[in-house]
Amino acid sequence: MPSQPPLPPLLAPYVSSLPQSSLTVLSSVLGATGNWLILRFLYAALNAPSNSETEFGLNQSDGVKDKKVVFVSFLRGWEFWRSEAKRLGLDLARLTDKRQFAFIDGLSELFDNPTTAAAPSQPSFPGTAPPRTVLPVRSPPGPVPGRTPHLLSRPGNVSTNPASKEIGPVKRLHLSGNGTAALDALERDIATVMKQLKTPTPGEAEEPELVLIIDQPDLLLAATGPSKGIGATEMGEWVMGLQQNAYATIMTLSADSPLIHNASAIAHQPATPLETEHAAFAIGSAHRAQMVMQLRSLETGAARDVSGVLRVGKGGAWGQKDAGTEGNWEEKEVLYFVQRDGGVRVFGRGE
Amino acid sequence: MSFRKRNIGLSTGADRTPALKSSAQPQQSTTAAESSPGIRPSPDDGRPTTSTGSRSLDNLLAGHGGLPLGKTLLIEENGTTDFAGALLRYYAAEGVVQDQKVHVVGMPEQWGRSLPGLIGPADVADEKPDKRKRERMKIAWRYERLGEFGAGVAGSRVPAATSGDQGPSTANGDQAQQPAFCHAFDLTKRLTHPSIANITYIPLGRSNEPLFVTIHKRLQAAIAQSPSNTVHRIIIPSLLNPTLYPPETSQPDAVLPFLHSLRALMSAPSARVTAIITMPLSLFPRSSGLVRWIELLSDGVIELCPFPHSADALATSGAVTAGEEPPQGVLKTHRLPVLHERGGGSDQNIGQDWAFTLSRRKFEIKPFSLPPAEGDKDAQEGAAPGGMPKKADLEF
Repeated sequence: MPSQPPLPPLLAPYVSSLPQSSLTVLSSVLGATGNWLILRFLYAALNAPSNSETEFGLNQSDGVKDKKVVFVSFLRGWEFWRSEAKRLGLDLARLTDKRQFAFIDGLSELFDNPTTAAAPSQPSFPGTAPPRTVLPVRSPPGPVPGRTPHLLSRPGNVSTNPASKEIGPVKRLHLSGNGTAALDALERDIATVMKQLKTPTPGEAEEPELVLIIDQPDLLLAATGPSKGIGATEMGEWVMGLQQNAYATIMTLSADSPLIHNASAIAHQPATPLETEHAAFAIGSAHRAQMVMQLRSLETGAARDVSGVLRVGKGGAWGQKDAGTEGNWEEKEVLYFVQRDGGVRVFGRGE
Repeated sequence: MSFRKRNIGLSTGADRTPALKSSAQPQQSTTAAESSPGIRPSPDDGRPTTSTGSRSLDNLLAGHGGLPLGKTLLIEENGTTDFAGALLRYYAAEGVVQDQKVHVVGMPEQWGRSLPGLIGPADVADEKPDKRKRERMKIAWRYERLGEFGAGVAGSRVPAATSGDQGPSTANGDQAQQPAFCHAFDLTKRLTHPSIANITYIPLGRSNEPLFVTIHKRLQAAIAQSPSNTVHRIIIPSLLNPTLYPPETSQPDAVLPFLHSLRALMSAPSARVTAIITMPLSLFPRSSGLVRWIELLSDGVIELCPFPHSADALATSGAVTAGEEPPQGVLKTHRLPVLHERGGGSDQNIGQDWAFTLSRRKFEIKPFSLPPAEGDKDAQEGAAPGGMPKKADLEF
């Protein structure tokens, strides 16, 4: 089987032209995860101008702005994304050094209760990054008690390459406290990274387009819930707050049937708060979205040459602006197949 | 599959093994220290994997021939049987035999004492069926290994060169230098192994902290304290079972942060951890949002649906050959480690219906096929004596 282009032609119009201040919702289910599609979004945003052209400033002429990406992932760590992106030919570590990309780790320490009051060590952008002004000055890479010993075992080489490979140039999120205060703290952390990335470096003439990708923020909702003062409304506002800083936002959600349909009135059993809040958040987000991409498994059972079904539809916010700015794409349902080598084939039914 | 002529390598078994080994060598050197026993690079992409203690289950895991390090497997079970518990015991016993560090959550030390006894490497234990097959397939000896599930990925690569058709002498020689990846265990015997005392038990005692926070802290501390090349196995039997866990733990804001932290703990680049969690589905149905989130937080999800007892009779009467045991239930794979994280698809095992059989010596997973309907058999038998005499009557 011939190797596939990183961006399947059928998919390209959907992932490469994101309208300004738009929200794209990408829903997935247990058996059909959306990681490959996120990687395609990353690829479309980060790989557009080839590297040699950027250096000579050739890409400025055709009017395509530089894109930068801030990627917040709540379910998967830096290692996973880095190695998977590499299969597409995207070197996230290098892009981070070039300040085109920033990864925010919502997995590693999200629910760790900081027992010590010491500032957590934050291996931030090595080398090129300006010193932080908002957050406390990074403690010297010495012993930070009681936390991730693998970080401590290699002190003093934060800026060297092996360290950035090992640890990842990553900001880690912490969830502490209750309700909106906790969410606000997360929002501040993410916004800080976004602002840092947005400030133009000397080489760049204008402010770049900043794409924000939030991978599975619904975990926050599921793992806290109304008893901790976080509900669908608060989550919706949280996402909206983050959207204000970004040119375009992509958000992935789980849309398994128990999480969506149990909350409806037709369901036989009373819905749990988890189910109602999740359904409200997911459906609310879809209503605010320009485009909704749904991934699901085949209804007819698993097949060897089909991984799942991708349906691209218009979200609730479609058509609120001039038709010209929203790009021209049509609603579509296609099949996709993720190959062993990481390539993806996207094709219509029966093709 | 390579286009190497198959019949060349067979005569010179000694030549083939180095070739295979050299191809695996670069992967081994890149993936951490390979010195620890029970770790093997995946034939699919070279990531380190470890055995679940059940060869059949290893083969099911999306071509990796084992559970990749850093991944969790969730085994859900319907009804009141404890097939998942048997799988856990195999998994624990394999960890003990391989000198890995086993952590058991919520079970007393009795549990560890009742681990199944060691028979030997899984390859040796499988020798008997191999012999039987050799007798049966005189003509098609070249295709012996094709299309047979048990000899899938875990059986291929290095073991394929040793345990296959190349005579017992080379096989034994290689066995000695190649430590076994998966062992066979006997459920009726008790495991005696020096390192069985190294199992750590994390009790579900009450403390002033939330229960799951305590468990997580203890796991984290245990993994942080051990040498960096230790391989850990975390075993969580019957998660949320109300006889073990207090009721408040089944709240989403208790269990989901724990599973998320566990995931974080395991995905740390320096950690070498695998985990298997089992869950009773009768109490927590798959149609609930909480269970779906638990599944979403696991890397692999397998559901066991044992047949009710009345089905036993039906299964035995079917056209199962004499040597095989009737299936005891259906196994469904909802998600497989690594494969589904990447997007799914392209695994030869996907889309199959699986049946499982737990016998004294192994947990076997086979493609499931319904036996011929009961009525048909009667009709056939009725037709044979009825039809023949009539014909004879006509002739004479």
